[in-house]
Amino acid sequence: MNLPIETVDLGKQYGKVTAVKHLSLRVAEGEIYAFLGLNGAGKTTTIRMLLGMIKPTWGTAQVLNTRVRLGSQEPWAAVGYLVEIPHSYQELTVFENLEVARRLHPGTAPEAVSRIIERMGLSAYADRRAGTLSQGNAQRLGLAKALLHAPRLLLLDEPANGLDPAGIVEIRELLLELTREQGVTVFLASHILAEVSRLAQRIGIIHQGYLLQELDVDELERDRHRRLLLRARDLEAARLALATAGYPAKTLQDGTLELTDLHALEHPDDITSLLVAAGVPPTQVLVEEEDLEQYFLRLVGMKGGQTHA
Amino acid sequence: MRDLMNAVWIELRKATRSRMPLFTALGFLVVACGLAFLMFIYKYPSLARSIGLISAKANLAGGAATWPYYLGILGQALAAAGLLLFSLVESWVFGREWADGTLKDLLAVPVARATLLLAKFLVVVLWSLLLTAMLVLVSFLLGAVIGLSQGTPEVFWHGTVTLAVAACLVIVDVFPFAFFASVGRGYLLPIGVTLLLLVIGNVVAIAGWGSYFPWAVPALYAGFTSRGNLDAASYLLVLLAGLAGLAGTYLWWKYADQSH
Repeated sequence: MNLPIETVDLGKQYGKVTAVKHLSLRVAEGEIYAFLGLNGAGKTTTIRMLLGMIKPTWGTAQVLNTRVRLGSQEPWAAVGYLVEIPHSYQELTVFENLEVARRLHPGTAPEAVSRIIERMGLSAYADRRAGTLSQGNAQRLGLAKALLHAPRLLLLDEPANGLDPAGIVEIRELLLELTREQGVTVFLASHILAEVSRLAQRIGIIHQGYLLQELDVDELERDRHRRLLLRARDLEAARLALATAGYPAKTLQDGTLELTDLHALEHPDDITSLLVAAGVPPTQVLVEEEDLEQYFLRLVGMKGGQTHA
Repeated sequence: MRDLMNAVWIELRKATRSRMPLFTALGFLVVACGLAFLMFIYKYPSLARSIGLISAKANLAGGAATWPYYLGILGQALAAAGLLLFSLVESWVFGREWADGTLKDLLAVPVARATLLLAKFLVVVLWSLLLTAMLVLVSFLLGAVIGLSQGTPEVFWHGTVTLAVAACLVIVDVFPFAFFASVGRGYLLPIGVTLLLLVIGNVVAIAGWGSYFPWAVPALYAGFTSRGNLDAASYLLVLLAGLAGLAGTYLWWKYADQSH
């Protein structure tokens, strides 16, 4: 399998602080890999190591089958990136900033600048100085610089930062299109879980420098907690009826019955029929599914918020 | 070569779009005007006193409204102001990438770091030479307007060569400031070092060791009487300081962690 990104036991230590440790990642070609973590978890340090900006204390990283080395020219011709806040030369216009980026990628056609300006919705701002752009448009300019030279691999650190909801949808569709139609691989560091769950095929969860878990979106579906919540006028009678039918239920403090039986979760209509037949019809039936945010918080050992139906 | 041309284009575009060329040019214009003002006073001391430009107690001994004297102090001024303004140019060209957060866009690109750095140094040299040319031309013009005496072709030729060599010595002297801007990730460290070197340069010159302190050598070279104190080692030390600056900057850009 072709692996645009592969790290083996990668780690970085700053003095006594371990920013990243024992990081072994494998990102497959054409996939969107989301690298999830809280602020300070080690996401940006990892991206900087992948880009050869900082030297790993331990381990190695390969990007597009090239061993990453500090200060090397390889393999950056085919890599686009956005690291942290997308700074630009404030006194240059949007067009000039992109022209600078184009000249830093020899072989990129001059027309690529106008093309990417149009694609990123920056046409109205092409002659505006970068210093006068809104945060959202500055982010678009940063993404335009990353995409300008049609890279095979994109390393994006919080790409949705500063974008409005329409902009987020637009960027999501753009990334999906790039992966589907051009086979571009995307490595996306983010703490915006809702965004990641809509976009990524594979997710890596990093916490305090360690990779806690790597999973496919399908695995996430399987692993995340689900429960069926029931309310009835006679809660004890309902619990007994369910227990008799082989569905053990737990009574919660708020006067709700909780079932975690897989059949009950997949067929709540059967449970409703059963209770109606037992003479204790439910007044409320709710299947709750843990979302990515709660799954993530549970995994990193923090208390989550509310689950949703 | 194509990469270098592109990198030079980038650096020139960044420089010409900023206000720094204007500010540095204004700095040198102030120097030129200050010297012309001094020459005016030497040329017309009674008039200067009568219109209140100088006090009645002003001591004008030691100076003369002549081209040789004018070009001599112009060289000294170029050495001192050049160290300050050229190091400012160097600090801005390199330090701005950290101060503005744009450095990361230069790191993972298919262009050699050496090429990017060479382009920056070339633009600093060009910029410094243009500032020098402007200072010399404006000073010559003001000297002519004031009507200084003893302006023979030999004096102009000698003065111009002295100014050009002094400028080159200062330009080489400020190469290490690219390193200080890189290590200090911005402008503060190189500007602080510049001020420190100006102070040390004066102390060392008073102590009689100025000819072996690279940052005092341009001023000594520019002075007609002090040039005799310089020997081959003085120029070699300037060259070594410059080369150390180039090498240090390259090694820092190539091998230091860039986490900002």
